[in-house]
Amino acid sequence: MPNVTQLAAGSGIVLLAGFLGVVLWKVTTGDISLDWLLYGDARTSRGAGYSAFFSPGRAQMMAVTVVCAAYFILQVIQDPTKFPEVPNGLIAVLGGSHAAYLGGKAQALYLGRLRNLAALLNRRGP
Amino acid sequence: MKTVEFWASLVGAVVVAFVIAVWVPGKPDEKVVYAIEYGALVITFLFGFMVLAGIASGKIDIGRLLEEKGAAGGGASMSRFQLLIFTFVVAISLLLVVVSNHRFPQDIPTGVLTLVGISASTFAVSKGIQSGTGNGNGSDAPAPPSGKVTHTTVVAPPEAGGTVTHTTVVNPPSHAG
Repeated sequence: MPNVTQLAAGSGIVLLAGFLGVVLWKVTTGDISLDWLLYGDARTSRGAGYSAFFSPGRAQMMAVTVVCAAYFILQVIQDPTKFPEVPNGLIAVLGGSHAAYLGGKAQALYLGRLRNLAALLNRRGP
Repeated sequence: MKTVEFWASLVGAVVVAFVIAVWVPGKPDEKVVYAIEYGALVITFLFGFMVLAGIASGKIDIGRLLEEKGAAGGGASMSRFQLLIFTFVVAISLLLVVVSNHRFPQDIPTGVLTLVGISASTFAVSKGIQSGTGNGNGSDAPAPPSGKVTHTTVVAPPEAGGTVTHTTVVNPPSHAG
């Protein structure tokens, strides 16, 4: 009779690989859209609506996320007997990156883009 | 979940448990443990496979998995995307560790929990910011359109009835989430 642990591991691999495969397949075929992934909404200078703009905050967060994920998965593949120790520096970089993204998003949605804000302040200046 | 697949999963688990209880040799107390273990495994796997098959066939729609709900043009959300990546990375890692050790890890390092926590918190805060502006999640109402607004009014001559027609064109809408 097969070991239940081996069967559970096998079924887990099948399901996880299946979910990963289906998601990747749908992303590849465009069923799950990645359009405008690096673009954010910003309040317009008149404050009446929102406009799309290329967001550097999203771009840096994507880069840092991919690097962190690749580092983590490579560490696990090298030594699959235990979870890897994540360096504090990496956590700080990831946290900073996410904070920058969130700060940029809040600023763009509530105040508008920095260049519009600067122009507005210049107009109101002495 | 009262579907054919659901009942097929249940019946499959019961059949497996029954086969183990009747035909597999061994002590009765061990056979009970085996029957419960294999039955639970079969039902868990079949439920998971049911969901997977539903997603693959399109019965369960995940097309808007990464979409920023309520954003101006329904663009993809970076916070959802990074959460998806970290979820898969940690799930694959956990599976590798369990397969390698044949048991669940006794402790999860703080660094891993922090990594997942940062990822999930970013998603939650991003959702809060989006809905706080009235431009996002939690509201099905479309965002205020941006761009030019053109009003056109046409007045027909009196002999044609003098009808007044107002047309408002908003162009272009914004796109990203």
